[in-house]
Amino acid sequence: MIRAHDLEKSYGENRVLRGVSFEVPKGESLVVIGGSGTGKSVLLKCLLGLERADRGSVEVAGLANPKPQVLAQHVGMLFQGAALFDSLPVWQNVAFRLMRGRNPLGATEAQALAVEKLARVGLGPETAMLFPAELSGGMQKRVGLARAIAGDPPVLFFDEPTAGLDPVMAAVINALIREITRDLGATALTITHDMRTVRDVADRVAKLHEGRFYWQGSVAEAFATEDPVMRQFTRGLTEGPVATLR
Amino acid sequence: MTPRALLGAIGRSLAETLASVGRFSGFVITSLMWMLRAPFYPRELLAQLLHIGWLSLPVVGLTTLFTGGALALQIYAGSARFSAEFAVPSITAIGMVRELGPVLGGLMVAARVASSIAAEIGTMKVSEQIDALRTLAVEPMQYLTVPRVLAATLSMPVLVAVGDAIGILGGYAVGVTRLGFDGGAYLRNSLDFLEFWDVASGMIKGAVFGFLVAISGCYFGMNSGRGAQGVGEATKSAVVMASILILAANYLLTEAFFSA
Repeated sequence: MIRAHDLEKSYGENRVLRGVSFEVPKGESLVVIGGSGTGKSVLLKCLLGLERADRGSVEVAGLANPKPQVLAQHVGMLFQGAALFDSLPVWQNVAFRLMRGRNPLGATEAQALAVEKLARVGLGPETAMLFPAELSGGMQKRVGLARAIAGDPPVLFFDEPTAGLDPVMAAVINALIREITRDLGATALTITHDMRTVRDVADRVAKLHEGRFYWQGSVAEAFATEDPVMRQFTRGLTEGPVATLR
Repeated sequence: MTPRALLGAIGRSLAETLASVGRFSGFVITSLMWMLRAPFYPRELLAQLLHIGWLSLPVVGLTTLFTGGALALQIYAGSARFSAEFAVPSITAIGMVRELGPVLGGLMVAARVASSIAAEIGTMKVSEQIDALRTLAVEPMQYLTVPRVLAATLSMPVLVAVGDAIGILGGYAVGVTRLGFDGGAYLRNSLDFLEFWDVASGMIKGAVFGFLVAISGCYFGMNSGRGAQGVGEATKSAVVMASILILAANYLLTEAFFSA
């Protein structure tokens, strides 16, 4: 389960989060949408403990206001640019956490596990020995996904999982996310402004607007609502209540 | 600009400088604290020993080789004015091991290593790899900063010692081929007048300089701004800071070691 209560976060005069409250029940996939600069990434960082909220509380996988180091064994995170470690081969990226900390896996065991996880995201064993710089954007995302699920975590976070991908690869990544979260029975939170991801991945949708969860509902409701802010965003309209620069 | 506005600007600038010194000092203390806490990453340390120590040998060696040669020429030209050419080997050796070996070696390592550390860690920050480390239960200070600082602190004294030897060799080559010294006599004169403390003080300086180089690189890398410009700025600042700290520390250490 993921829960946030009255989260507030400011940077100087800029009040990014102004009291965000929500709950994602166990096994549900929530997709948070919002324009650029509305605080989606900040929200994610607060949930992961990477940023400390000025006010409010967070509960992830039963842990209240956890530090990232404590949270690590309970969550998997796919970063926007995959955030793979350049100096390590793919298999060490995938098994990174499992090779460190208490009861670390040995190299042979870790490599076997990495190959298994890579297969789960549609990559062959030959990928394991490559370095991140040798991979395409789509392959990097898959490796990032394999790293996120390496420890079979009960909670998964996805930050703009389809950013920078062509439509076909984006659809592949969305399908993988959906499949894997279902198979793991994981609770998932995805932030995106890709409406295709909303359709493919979400059980429920929330719109972050002016620092709060402005709207929440099902996927069907999200695309059917006549709320002007939601309508403008889901249909990509230049005219509407949210000012656009042209 | 009115005097009041000028005073205000000076005050703000001073406050910002003091704040920067405070942030840097805090980073140094935090790094030292993380050195004492498990887990340790011996593989990372070995990789950094190779990168910082072994791979810096060519640049330090070439720098000290040419400096030793130039130093011998300069001392010969100066000492000839009062017929003291015999002092060339010993003064070249003392100059190399006490001062030029550690300082020039340190500055060359600052250019090579502080920039590379700042650029690497800065890029990792910009591409969210630092955040990724934290979500994978690894503390970036422990995994990135500690191995680099330890590796630089441990490898710089060795680099200085090797650089000293190569610098003396540079002086020897010039002395024998250009200044007409007998090879055996040059070497004897070089070594007979060197004391243990001359060499040890240079190596201690090397350890301090290594620490300053790596900590500057890590600090500016960890605090890098966004994008290519941010990383570029961090890289430049790391080299400038490391170089200034080396020169300042060199003066203070020389005072501490050799002032009467």
